[in-house]
Amino acid sequence: MIRHLLKLIWNKKKAHALLLVEIWAAFMVLFGLTSLIVINVRNYNQPLGFEYENAWAVLLNNNQDTTQVAEKIQRILDRVEAFPEVEAATRMSGNFPFSANTSNNRIDYGKRKTLADFFTTDENFAKTLNIPVVAGRWFRNADSVGKYTPIVLNRKAKDELFGDENPLGRVLSDRYKVFGVVNTFKSKGEYMSDNPAVFELMDAKSAWHSTLLIRVKPGTDAAFEAKMVKAVTTMVDDWSVEVNYLTDSRKNRHNLTLVPVIIFGIVSSFLLINVALGLFGVLNLSIARRRGEIGLRRALGATGSGISSQFIGEIWVLATFGLLIGFLFALQFPLMNVFDVEAGIYLTAIALSTVVIYGLVTACALFPSRQAALIQPAVALHEE
Amino acid sequence: MITLQNIEKVYRTSSIETLALNNINLNIRKGEFVSIMGPSGCGKSTLLNIMGLLDEPSKGTVELDGERIGQYRDKELARIRNRKIGFIFQSFHLINDLTVLDNVEIPLLYRSANGKPRQSYAKDALEKVGLSNRVKHFPKQLSGGQKQRVAIARAIVGNPEIILADEPTGNLDSGMGNEIMNILQTLNNDGTTIVMVTHDEAMAKRTHRLVRLFDGTQVL
Repeated sequence: MIRHLLKLIWNKKKAHALLLVEIWAAFMVLFGLTSLIVINVRNYNQPLGFEYENAWAVLLNNNQDTTQVAEKIQRILDRVEAFPEVEAATRMSGNFPFSANTSNNRIDYGKRKTLADFFTTDENFAKTLNIPVVAGRWFRNADSVGKYTPIVLNRKAKDELFGDENPLGRVLSDRYKVFGVVNTFKSKGEYMSDNPAVFELMDAKSAWHSTLLIRVKPGTDAAFEAKMVKAVTTMVDDWSVEVNYLTDSRKNRHNLTLVPVIIFGIVSSFLLINVALGLFGVLNLSIARRRGEIGLRRALGATGSGISSQFIGEIWVLATFGLLIGFLFALQFPLMNVFDVEAGIYLTAIALSTVVIYGLVTACALFPSRQAALIQPAVALHEE
Repeated sequence: MITLQNIEKVYRTSSIETLALNNINLNIRKGEFVSIMGPSGCGKSTLLNIMGLLDEPSKGTVELDGERIGQYRDKELARIRNRKIGFIFQSFHLINDLTVLDNVEIPLLYRSANGKPRQSYAKDALEKVGLSNRVKHFPKQLSGGQKQRVAIARAIVGNPEIILADEPTGNLDSGMGNEIMNILQTLNNDGTTIVMVTHDEAMAKRTHRLVRLFDGTQVL
């Protein structure tokens, strides 16, 4: 029967060409959407690597003030740390977690190289964000006396640069010395991938890094925020202070990731609904035109359910042709490593899209094929 | 072989009832060649559809080989149509998107016959009707007579005991009609029971027995 259906569809290939294109286009759009969803779901399932609740980013801007900036920042940090509501505080570069800022650089170990996100910070960073150190230890301010700048890597950076080798004490790019390794660190939020990350001990005399991260006690509210900002602005008149709650920054990050996916999803849904309506209409029309053939097949021995199966089988064959063309395009993505995405993600997306397309065409074919099964052979044969 | 007792067929719509067949009693014996005649709308095709298990009578019983068909389910009816009955229609009812060979194979598809034996049986059937040189043609490439011969090959490919032919020569000129009639007579001589609806007196005279209908009633 499958060969019969193949012949039937193949011999009508010109009539089915547009339907094939429709199924192919629906598959490609679905492939794009499911790739995005699979990437985001996979990323979401990876641990974030730090705790953001009750963590605030205090952004200091020295504006026109260029005198003793580093010392002033240190004094502000000491003052903020002294509040009983603050459990821990750290100073870091502007690319604090969930911020829009990024700082990355190439780093190498022998012949191995990787592009890593750089976070310049002090000894309290891991403590402030509750980041567990899985190997070695977090650097201390006292470690800056050595020849090399102390760094901590995340596991992704460690794997790319050292593989199974122990990285502790190794020197990278003739400049950095590895003191410890943390697990994941997804600074841009749960939906982002775990990029290689390097935490570098900052020069305390540097005036550049003017972001403070603080962990406050649970229940600390905006009243404390106002008190803290007032205290800081009293210390440095011309400076401006902005406080970002990391929970809010995280929501903004999520929106930035999810809104395009949702928009793409809505557009794709409309397209799929159109494809479904088109298929449904074409099948209904096809059955109306083929009433004589249905009557004939019943006369020659087909059961009602056999007729229904035949029409579902035909749409499956058609979908298979459309999908085969779609596979030719979709498989180029993992083969050519497009967007540097893992092949497994593309293959999962192809499998999911295939299931959705078969489900869609089956759903569209069910009602018309049932109608076909109910056609009375005597009536249908008489109509011709 | 086929026994119809007190057959009545009424077509009902919301506003009207039409009596298509009234108290038909008919016994078709094995090996007979019976023709059914009557004016248009007298119920000939309806009677043939009931004999072919394509339609149910409103009243009365249908027996095939001594078995009452009334309570049979769709699957059993389909099996009987496939194994025991071959159909030939005035408008041929060939599927234009399939080749001659594929058209003839269709009844065997519903027996789950394998590809190679299926092709072999279909080619044998086409040879019997003199169309073995047209297996790869499509119906649109054939004349009316050739199309009807393909339809006959399709009807006989499964070796049915009965052939029900609904005006098989109705769309053909007299020469082609005679050719088709010759084929049917050969099949009948080989033992196949044939019931044929026709408007053509000359064709009817070539059969063993004539049944006449008028306004749904058997008059002869």
